[in-house]
Amino acid sequence: MTDYSKKRFLVIDDQPQARDALRTVAQTLGAFIVEFAANYQDAIYRIRNNVPDIILCDYILGEGRSGQQLLEELRRFKLLADETIFMMVTGEQSYEQVVSAVELVPDDYIIKPFSPDKLLLRLERIVAKKAFFADYYQEKRKEEYARAIALLEKKRNSEAGRPYRFEILRQQAEVMLISGNAKSAETAYRGILDSHDFPWARAGVARALHKLNRLTEARQEVDRAIAGTPHFFDAADLKATICMAQGEHAEAQKVLDEVAKKTPRNYLRKRLLAEAAMLNGDSETARSVMADVIAGDTMPGAVSAEDRLALARSHVNASDKISAERVLVSMRDVEVQNFNLAEQASFVALLAICSPERGKPRFAGLRPALLSTDLSTTIRLDVLRAALSVGDNPLADTHCEKLMAGPEAKKAFSTIRSQYALHGREKEFREIQKQVAMQRIHHEVEAPGASA
Amino acid sequence: MHRLLDILASGIHDTKNQLFSAESLIAGSEAKHQIDLFEIRYAIEAAADRLSRTLAAYQLMRHGAQLAVVPAIVSDLCEEVGLAQKHHLVNAGISLTIDCQTFDDWPLDRDLVTDMLNNAIQNAGRFARCAIRLSAFVQDEELVLRVEDDGAGFSTLPPAMGTGLIVAEKLAALHSRQEHHGSLHLSNGSALGGACFELRLP
Repeated sequence: MTDYSKKRFLVIDDQPQARDALRTVAQTLGAFIVEFAANYQDAIYRIRNNVPDIILCDYILGEGRSGQQLLEELRRFKLLADETIFMMVTGEQSYEQVVSAVELVPDDYIIKPFSPDKLLLRLERIVAKKAFFADYYQEKRKEEYARAIALLEKKRNSEAGRPYRFEILRQQAEVMLISGNAKSAETAYRGILDSHDFPWARAGVARALHKLNRLTEARQEVDRAIAGTPHFFDAADLKATICMAQGEHAEAQKVLDEVAKKTPRNYLRKRLLAEAAMLNGDSETARSVMADVIAGDTMPGAVSAEDRLALARSHVNASDKISAERVLVSMRDVEVQNFNLAEQASFVALLAICSPERGKPRFAGLRPALLSTDLSTTIRLDVLRAALSVGDNPLADTHCEKLMAGPEAKKAFSTIRSQYALHGREKEFREIQKQVAMQRIHHEVEAPGASA
Repeated sequence: MHRLLDILASGIHDTKNQLFSAESLIAGSEAKHQIDLFEIRYAIEAAADRLSRTLAAYQLMRHGAQLAVVPAIVSDLCEEVGLAQKHHLVNAGISLTIDCQTFDDWPLDRDLVTDMLNNAIQNAGRFARCAIRLSAFVQDEELVLRVEDDGAGFSTLPPAMGTGLIVAEKLAALHSRQEHHGSLHLSNGSALGGACFELRLP
């Protein structure tokens, strides 16, 4: 049995009486070191400073926060190693519904009231499971994905792996997805669905299909994952992302708006909502949501340059060049010098739009890099807009063509069209569209011969 | 949405938190004074189980319940039921044996199935002479969970079903795989000579 006297416990609960109860139970198991956190921020602060071995966290944390949200944030900032035990504690039966649906789950959850013996039994099982997966966790952390998958495959065929069949399959599918092997991930998730229609596995299929750019199918699968599991909020985020890729920005905004109301302090979701609103032409919503993100996401390091660029972009969209310029010039020179190329590109492009005399020379200076580098859709759109506004049509057309020929053409289409219309270049845009279509046909005719 | 349901659920949630405080105070006293107050804690947990079961029954009858299916390790589930019931049965002069023949995990609603088995064993405890057996095995691609006792058996077959059994039957049927549904079987075919409660899950 594990020696719990050497383990550091952290009890997270907003109710003092409940904290005392959990400490008593932990002490009954022999625990000496039991720390308390009374709220969400306090919990993050303590975990960041000194990672506990075992976290007992209540599902309801007050102030509109939940233990599930804490778990997601800890994973997002990589503050929770696979070796740390995270146990959700709840009197709420509805948490079972959450845990059976979502992709990101704690090591286990336990329903109050429970005896020290029952907690002990549960903890011992987690310890055994973590020991079984220990070598895999190491390879995964080192991003040695091929080795991680091979280890899982060996475990799957072992006698000791029999109690963990689903966990092994789930981990395999997840690693396949992060390592970029979407086709295998799809197969793995479908294998799990053959046994039971788990919403998280259905969402996994949708994620894989999204990566494969099979958008219509991805949309169908994510709709199935959401049907009947209204508390599966991450699936709503995924649906919105797929909608955006399909060019259905109004639907994306609607989906995110509904879920964001239920999770007012999930700032990752709000960032996504701002993006959807921007693509949907609702620049007022985009900028108020981005302002809320920057003011409200108090996690250290959470607000990035990208976020402030998004805020500036939303001001530009709302034709509020003064506010946009204010956001941009508030970034210190040292900071801007340390931007990566994508951030620099957005920065100079947005500056060139809202303050031509300041931005134009810097934008021109970056031109060679902007022509030759592969940039994401959002950045390309910034560059395209700036190029149109400073009259550098060849640069605009280059990015227009790249976007229209790329996998996210549908996502970018409405923005590009309105920008070209704004500068009276509808005809040129249609011409580029035609060229891209011709190239595609040419490519498709040529492709079978090339692969033979 | 379901306002009455929300009020009931939140009241039950608060009560269970209170019961947890009570149970942990008792556990603390047991450790401090080296005494055994197991029966008090058992009574507290039984009360909490009743509340949960009542809420589940209400939800099922009024709104149609939705299962929370997770892959559960069958032997762990049996062990936990044993932990909850064994000590109490020993105090009543009844032995509980657990015979789990499967090592695998199985997709099921862990908390509902645990509660059904706890309930079945509590019922069996009222009629058993001195033995109850909980067994688990896989047969025809179904997980079979069986509670048998050595009592006089059901006086009529099919037996008159109380709320607990009616709910158990519905919840069993909600477990499904493709077109195949779970089922509940009550008989006097116990290997120990008494009643047999059998849950089959696809």
